[in-house]
Amino acid sequence: MTENKILLNIKDLHASVGDKEILRGIDLTIREGETHAIMGPNGSGKSTLSAVLAGRDNYTVTSGEVTFNGHNLLELTPEERSFEGLFLSFQYPIEIPGVTNVNFMRTAVNEHRKHKGLEPLNAADFLKLMRSKMEIVEMNPSFSSRGVNVGFSGGEKKRNEIFQMAMLEPRLAILDETDSGLDVDALRIVATGVNKLKRPDNAAIVITHYQRLLDYIVPDVVHVLYKGRIIRTAGKELAREIEERGYDWIING
Amino acid sequence: MTENYIYAPAHNIEGGFRCKVPLPGSRQIFMIDGGVQGTGRPLDIRFRKGEISEETLQVIGIRTEKHPEDISFASSYRFEEGSSAKLILCSHTFAENPFHTDEKISITMEAGASADVLIMQNEHNKATHNTCIDIHLAEGASLNAVILTIHGGAISNGITASLDGRHAFCDISGLYLVDGTQKVTNSLKVEHRVPECHSRELFKGILDNNAYAYFSGLIHVFPDAQKTEAYQECHNLLLSRDARAFAQPQLEIYADDVKCSHGATNGRLNEDELFYMRSRGIPLKEAKVLQQLAFAYAVLDKISSAELKERMAVLTERRLRGEFSDCNNCCRNCC
Repeated sequence: MTENKILLNIKDLHASVGDKEILRGIDLTIREGETHAIMGPNGSGKSTLSAVLAGRDNYTVTSGEVTFNGHNLLELTPEERSFEGLFLSFQYPIEIPGVTNVNFMRTAVNEHRKHKGLEPLNAADFLKLMRSKMEIVEMNPSFSSRGVNVGFSGGEKKRNEIFQMAMLEPRLAILDETDSGLDVDALRIVATGVNKLKRPDNAAIVITHYQRLLDYIVPDVVHVLYKGRIIRTAGKELAREIEERGYDWIING
Repeated sequence: MTENYIYAPAHNIEGGFRCKVPLPGSRQIFMIDGGVQGTGRPLDIRFRKGEISEETLQVIGIRTEKHPEDISFASSYRFEEGSSAKLILCSHTFAENPFHTDEKISITMEAGASADVLIMQNEHNKATHNTCIDIHLAEGASLNAVILTIHGGAISNGITASLDGRHAFCDISGLYLVDGTQKVTNSLKVEHRVPECHSRELFKGILDNNAYAYFSGLIHVFPDAQKTEAYQECHNLLLSRDARAFAQPQLEIYADDVKCSHGATNGRLNEDELFYMRSRGIPLKEAKVLQQLAFAYAVLDKISSAELKERMAVLTERRLRGEFSDCNNCCRNCC
């Protein structure tokens, strides 16, 4: 069997906030078509890893390499990472009062098009695209004229994240605790949305605490992150085992 | 409406000035160097009792090189009982002289009158313009005023609103966009003299470079003015370390059954919002503009005409983008 093309390759990644080292040597390879789950106790560095990959500047990468789709990811600005096909679904999506969802997404989509040398979408085509993508996460069209995430419930915010993902069609989506704050119905809608967006040439990293999300988004590989390192990598059965036994047996094992 | 001016179509104005904001159904009056075009007399407008004016009256005040000296003048607008009208008051500078203008505007709203007033200030960097606005509201009168300070060297607005009759309502807001070494001052005094009146003020500023903005707002509730509702807010967004904004909110309350509040903040662009937008592919520069427009929106939203609001939003956006691109072949010299 020929292995799929490598999309993301992380080698010995170290990152700090101030003088506190949070990532202490991450190695991770993700290929097209794969879904990886990253689990781990609180404070193990899961959200830091996603923030560093997305280009948040309050983290300092002290050593290591990250190659994404043939680019040195760490040299790119957050917007360039987005153009190259990286998408982060935020654990806590940001509210932007005064910027409507429709303006926000139109600006984002047209910047992506500009990057690809395409003309901006006209208003009619854009609205058509937006409506079809909103259906993926069963989002009410009235949300398009509201301020980005303003007054949205936890579930609506997460749906909005997946809607944005659908609009931008990333190569690699990082879902940072997309299940947190979701009831069962919202979880199913969000997970179904993610599954609908799966293609042979894209990939996803699912960061979660719970098996529950992984019942819907079935991972190919499960990693356990602890104190800034991946301490265990196995198949999807590892998630179920963690659900039953916790992390202690891995940490102490 | 009684008028003591000569209506002048736009093409008669020197320098080929064309207003960028002409609304269909608006009537324009030009005030040249403090006097009504043609007569040179002060402006005195009166909306007759019960008159509901459909068209917008736009008063375009301009300074020209014919009168480079300091000038001072007064205009008066009286809304008689039950009348209703819309006003746009603009000020521009048509030559590069360091103009100094002192202007007094009196707005008298008789019982039950209502008005929408937009004041649009767009002058060049050497201009100093002090505007004193004296507002009186009788019983049941209602005023919605928005002051948009787009550009100007030193712009100062001193506003006194006196709520003299019960159930008077007054909403005054301001948006000031200040950069370079520009200075903008807004001083407000809202006097609740009788019971059951309602006032609101919202002032927001975006400051860059070495700009300076000062806001002082006093809400004065007189001893008899029970059931007053008076709210005031001032927020500044500072884009540079060297920009300075001062806010001085004040409440003087001499009645005991009132609802009053004030709030003032000075802040900078929100890093989390910027990162969120960038992570979706919106470049930093664009993300900053979006955030500034979002900040400004609450004031623009007070403009009741949707069409006028849209035009002011476009003007605001162009200003924030530094895109007053037609400046080279325009006579306004506003930047």
